[in-house]
Formats: sequence, structure tokens, C-alpha cells
Amino acid sequence: MMALLLDGLIVLALVSLAVQAISGRSLFRGIIHFVVFGLTMALAWARIGAPDLAMAEAAIGAGLTGALMMVAYRRLVAQGDNHSPRAPAQKSRLAIPIAVGSGLLVGVIGLGALLADNPPGEAGLIVLETLPEYGLGNAITGVLLLFRGLDTLLEIAVLLTALLAARALAGTGDSSATARTQHPETPLVGALLAVVIPLTILVAVHLLRAGTHETGGAFQAGAVLAAAGVLLVLSGRVSRTDTAGPLVRLGILAGLSAFILIGLMPLLYGEALLTLPGMWSIYLIETAMMVSIAAALILLFADAGGLKRDRRG
Amino acid sequence: MSVEEGIALLFLLAGCAFYLAGTIGLLRFPDVFCRLHALTKADNVGLGLVCVGLALLSGQARVASMLLLIWLVGLLAATVSAHLIARHAYERDAPPEHEGPS
Repeated sequence: MMALLLDGLIVLALVSLAVQAISGRSLFRGIIHFVVFGLTMALAWARIGAPDLAMAEAAIGAGLTGALMMVAYRRLVAQGDNHSPRAPAQKSRLAIPIAVGSGLLVGVIGLGALLADNPPGEAGLIVLETLPEYGLGNAITGVLLLFRGLDTLLEIAVLLTALLAARALAGTGDSSATARTQHPETPLVGALLAVVIPLTILVAVHLLRAGTHETGGAFQAGAVLAAAGVLLVLSGRVSRTDTAGPLVRLGILAGLSAFILIGLMPLLYGEALLTLPGMWSIYLIETAMMVSIAAALILLFADAGGLKRDRRG
Repeated sequence: MSVEEGIALLFLLAGCAFYLAGTIGLLRFPDVFCRLHALTKADNVGLGLVCVGLALLSGQARVASMLLLIWLVGLLAATVSAHLIARHAYERDAPPEHEGPS
């Protein structure tokens, strides 16, 4: 009863937040509603027993995307005249029919899925049988690397492509992501960073290590690490540059190149492509992917080609 | 219901009361500074009470220490962000009308 009540509340909150996010009076309200929507969505994932997705949703869906939207909003404010940018006043006539149609579609599919008898999950059983050979306890990491290695490899490639596309579209010159206020910084920010940055790195490494046997993995760890980077960019400890230094380049490419090199290795012994040769390769690939994911997300956030440390006097 | 559960329930209810009061204050108070005042009560005391209640319910030292850590990090983030918001508002607008003892 309590569980049903809680689930009902989450569903109600999700629908109303989604409506608020797209039909709010101002863009700013829309962004805030979107972030809260992401957090509630993470709660929903956690409720249906998918903590990996919940973590990714909270870190990327709510956290990083929210921060990106805030940066975009600030630029809109800076470009426009002094009043805050507003959402377009008139709604499309198609809005309500599309919303009702989508709702019906989701409802029918959901009902169909509920009514259909579940076929025995053959693939899932095979995965669970194979995982102990590798010493992997987390089925999600196992599937991502052992069974769908090509998908995961291409995901990293897609992230890299997105970064390249963003760089191609971005103008050079000053960026307001790092625009800072004129007045001197309060000492509180330094104190916060001194505590939060080491903690964040600790959490990211823990998530990476835990990814082999429980909730976690390269994507979650990379997102958490990226959050630390976003904090450093926002507080002006790290500032953007137009071209990447060697360290940043290495970071961006580490995941893809480690995955490709280790994935090609089995061909030397006449085995299939992407047959991972053991636990060490999984750790290596996951670590490299974490670094690359974090680097790509930070660069996307800062709209930067590279990063440099900024010592403030 | 055991004694521990009863005490934990009291802590959780008290925490919820702080959150409720803080949220009402956030919605109803007139300016940024009053709203921050209301919000920090929910963030600091409300979160602390909820963490104490949950720690009592779990009954494990490991879980309790993690909840303590969550509370401390929450305190730190809430303090700094409230300070930054207040300073931004102070510099953007005129100083608050009612200058009370600080």
C-alpha cells in the first residue's frame, strides 16, 4: 500500500514536472523543472530496481544537462536586452494532439507489455552463467563489455564525435561558461572545493572499482568525475583554451584507443574481435573510458578545445 | 514497534516538520534573504534529523557513519550555495530594507 502510494506520487510528480518544464512561463523555470524532473526520474529508476540507470540519470540527466542549460540560459541573457528571455508565447496547435497521442501510445505499449506472458529470458541466463568465469558480479558491466562490446565501443566513439561536432560549431573567443563575477571570491568557495574535489574523485574511483561486482561502472564514474571538473571550471580554477594540450588530448582519446587496441589483440591469437583477455583488460578499458567520458563532458560543458589551470592571485 | 523504531519515527517526523516549514517559508517569504533563512533550516536541521532517524532504523555503525558523512557534505554545499546566492542578491539589489542585528 505504502509502496503503491509512493510510486503513484512519483508518477504524478513526473508528469506534472514534465508539463511544467515545457510549458513554464519562463525559460528559467523550465530549466529548474527539467532538473527536478531528472532527479525524480532517478528516484523512479531506483524504485524499479535499476540503480545503475538511477545514478546515470541523476549525474548526467539532472546534473550535467542542467548545468549545460544554465550556461546556455546565461548566454541568452547576456545576448538579449536586459529582460530575461521568455519561452515563445503562442503554443503550436498540434501540441495537445501530439501530447495525447504520445500518452496513448505509451499507455497501449505499457499495457501490452503488462498483459503479455514473459518468455523465458534465454540471453539473461547465458549472461549470468558466463559472468563468474570472468569474476564479474555486475551483470550490467558484463553485458556492456563482454557481450555488447561493439556497442560500448561505438558509444565512446559517438561521444568523441559529439565533442568534435561541438568544437566545429563553436566559435572561438571568450566563453561565458567561465565568465566570472567581478568582485573578489569568497574564501568559502576554496574551502568547499578543498573538501568536495577529493571526495568526488574518491567516489568516482569507488564507482569504477565497484562496477565489476555491484552498481557502478565507467559511465557513472566518468559523470561524477566530470561534475568535479565542471565545479573547477565554474569556480575559475580551470579555464578554457581554444586548443588542447597533450594531456587533454590523451584524456579524450584514452578510452577509445585503449578499447580498440585491447579489442584488436585477440586477432593475434586467432580469436574473435573484442574477446577481452581477462579482468585486467576490463579494468584498463573501464579506467580509460572513465577518463575519456569525464574529459569529453567537461570540454562540452566549458565549450572549450582544451583546459588549463588558472592560478588566481 | 520497538523503542528504537519509535524514537526513529519521532526524529523522522521532526525532520519532515522542518522540511515542511522550510518549504512553506521558501514559497511565502517576501525576499531572497528571508527565503534563504527558511531554506537553510530545512537543509541543515531537517536533513540532520532525518539522517539520525534513518541511522537509528538501520542500527549499523557503517550505515550511520555514511549518513553522518552525507549530512556533513550536505551542510557544506548548502552553506556555500546559500552564501553565494545571498551575496549575489545583495550586490544586485539594494541592501535589505530591515537591517537587523547580524
